[in-house]
Amino acid sequence: MSHLLEVHGLSIRFGGVQAVTKIDFHADPGEIVGVIGPNGAGKTTLFNIVTGFYSPDEGTMIFDGHNISGLKPNALTRLGMARTFQSVRLFNAMTVLENAMVGQHTRTKAGVWGALVRSKRTKAEEDHIRDRAREALAFFGDRLSGREDALASDLAYADRRRLEIARAMATDAKLLLLDEPAAGMNPAEKDGLINQIGRLRSELGYSIILIEHDMPVIKSVSDRVVALDHGEKITEGTYEEVSTNKQVIEAYLGKAAEESHL
Amino acid sequence: MTGAQKRSIRQGLISGAIVIYLGLVGMLVAFDARAIVTGILNFATVLIAITYGGFAYLSGNRGKHGAPAQPALIAGTITGAVAGATVGVFTLVVNFLTETLGWNVRNMFTSINNALLEFFTFGQSPVVGALLMVMFGLVAGLVSGSLHLMSTTNRKVVVMGLTASVFGALGAPLFKVMLDGLNIPNRWLFERDGLTLIGAITLFVVFAAARMGSLRVGGPRQALLKVPGTTEKNLRWVITALALFGIAILPWIVNDFVSDVLGFVGLYILLGLGLNIVVGFAGLLDLGYVAFYAVGAYSVALLTARSSILVGGAVTSPAVAAYTNFWVAIPITIVIAVLIGVAIGAPVLRLRGDYLAIVTLGFGEIIRTLVLSDWLKSTFGGPQGLTEVTSAPFFGLNTRDPQILYYLIYAFAGFALFISYRLKTSRVGRAWAAMREDEDIAEGMGVSVIKYKLLAFATGAAVGSLGGAFFAAKLSVANPGSFTLLVSINVLAVVVLGGIGSIPGVVVGSLVLVGLPELLREFGEFRLHIYGAILIAIMILKPEGLIPDKRRALELHQSDHQPEKSVLSAAATEGVQ
Repeated sequence: MSHLLEVHGLSIRFGGVQAVTKIDFHADPGEIVGVIGPNGAGKTTLFNIVTGFYSPDEGTMIFDGHNISGLKPNALTRLGMARTFQSVRLFNAMTVLENAMVGQHTRTKAGVWGALVRSKRTKAEEDHIRDRAREALAFFGDRLSGREDALASDLAYADRRRLEIARAMATDAKLLLLDEPAAGMNPAEKDGLINQIGRLRSELGYSIILIEHDMPVIKSVSDRVVALDHGEKITEGTYEEVSTNKQVIEAYLGKAAEESHL
Repeated sequence: MTGAQKRSIRQGLISGAIVIYLGLVGMLVAFDARAIVTGILNFATVLIAITYGGFAYLSGNRGKHGAPAQPALIAGTITGAVAGATVGVFTLVVNFLTETLGWNVRNMFTSINNALLEFFTFGQSPVVGALLMVMFGLVAGLVSGSLHLMSTTNRKVVVMGLTASVFGALGAPLFKVMLDGLNIPNRWLFERDGLTLIGAITLFVVFAAARMGSLRVGGPRQALLKVPGTTEKNLRWVITALALFGIAILPWIVNDFVSDVLGFVGLYILLGLGLNIVVGFAGLLDLGYVAFYAVGAYSVALLTARSSILVGGAVTSPAVAAYTNFWVAIPITIVIAVLIGVAIGAPVLRLRGDYLAIVTLGFGEIIRTLVLSDWLKSTFGGPQGLTEVTSAPFFGLNTRDPQILYYLIYAFAGFALFISYRLKTSRVGRAWAAMREDEDIAEGMGVSVIKYKLLAFATGAAVGSLGGAFFAAKLSVANPGSFTLLVSINVLAVVVLGGIGSIPGVVVGSLVLVGLPELLREFGEFRLHIYGAILIAIMILKPEGLIPDKRRALELHQSDHQPEKSVLSAAATEGVQ
């Protein structure tokens, strides 16, 4: 089976800081890959490179059979990649539904002419966009669907995180990259999230890469875990393998974690 | 002295200072000649009463924690008396300086003349006058403080009635012309340039009653919906039909001058709608929008002008295709504007916010400098510009006639309104909104930022160039003097005043900022004062604009119940910068 996403020798340097050094990693279709590492390990930088926000100094990236090096984020969205952000970044002055509708942008065509004439086809497309957006919102039950006309900025924090995922889903992506989706959630919300991430794969067929500090979440959802430190990949493997890896424990989990988390 | 008393005194000092300022710029003397109720009350007196009263009312407001700081009547009276005293002291000081010391204060303050002093002292001696002024302030403060004692409904009703009378009187010359045009007898209502006493009372009663009625049933809309057989939908149709009918008959019930002004308002609606696409929809702050106004005017002029230009002793004709029909020139103009819009947009794609504003400001000036230059004089005619632009032929009608041109301009403004609505609620509008909210994330969600920025510049340019085209056809000239930075600022003010991103806001903004100052010509030299005061007042009282865009209104008024701006996001160390 060929990999859905495959990166080789990825490096990026910001001024004097080598943020990411020669990282190789991949994700297969239908897989959930967890990315862990202490703060500043380069996890989000890696996401930013893969999703086209930064262009790497070195390395190759293949996504779904396409060479994606140097492509802009919008082109990657079109190819089927969508992400969320560590610090929630929604279109705050747009409604919940509109946020999700923007997700459908690359899957639709209507331009200025379509907007002005508003032909049958444009109307049908607009209906399709709305349906698809509602479908994505409905994944989170009533929490988002019930408030589709509220402004995104009026949502509670956890709902804003959910809306980010719904917006990414609405792009019809193959691969979702979730940057700390559990951050700021309470235990009950985390349990819900673990369940939802599982369903994203099992019911909707998304492949997922997620960055997460919360070890129980990583443990529950990941098929495979990649551990980074100082911009380098230390190891990868199952959660059990990685969590018992000496380097990982030293770099990231520390003594306290050895006792309590594992 | 309590804090509340201090506040009342401070409000009094401020309003007194404002009145002195109004006197020093000459406004009061000028408005002394402008009647509200002819022979009884003039506008200058009303203006200072409003100034005293307004601040007196404010000082009677509840304290910060909702508890009444002090009885409203007392607060109002203190403020009014202090305000009157401030002005009284001013007149005494002026009197002392001029009479006793023999200084000529008019050397510096040209407006301190006998007329002003007479106005401030009610024609009495300085001391008696100063005392009268204190009494005047005291009464004004007491009366407006007593507004606090009324129920909210009654207060709104009274304020509505008074406002109607004042505006009815200020607009008297205009309304008189309109009523004459409709052959409605109005001698009982208006006398010279003000209201008759009966007229003032009638206006007060009618508007107060109307307000009372509409408040009883929860607003004018609800009131109309109470009428049997009225539904939301047919009400909207009726309102639209009435508005169209009103727009259609307007030029025939007003004179040529007012038609002309309305034509200008229409041009600004076109420009405002164009800029609203760029600034309001796509969030690109363009301070050089006048460039497209100029492009439209000069394109039409180049295609249709019959003028000749003298360059180095030789007469050349600038027109590329002189005598081309205006309607042929319009689509060509739009194409040119779109190309220039893209040409200006392309180099600034990477710039955001303030940087974009500065660069576009530069582009606006570049266009003006180019058409003004000797270098391109053989094409653009230098400072004199291009003259004898043909008018827009329309079924043999004389479209130089403001009443005819009015229809053409408003037809195109209507078209621009349609375009704006359709774009705003489309996939394109959503992409723009996303880009305005967060450019990086919009790109991350699949919006091609480059494409949509250029699209916004191009669409905005096309609409703006229509404004320029009609401007040239209206005045039959295109010259650099008409395309200064001030135009860009005015158009931006129209958009901001109406409410950024709000389509009806552009219409209202144009009427208020372009229409009113032209119609209230008496205000002539004070136009910029009033303009500034209105802008400041509106930005303080309604920062989201007169008719806010729904989204933005929600955004500005949510700060009270903002969900926690997560500590996490604030402390985020990584993340896309």
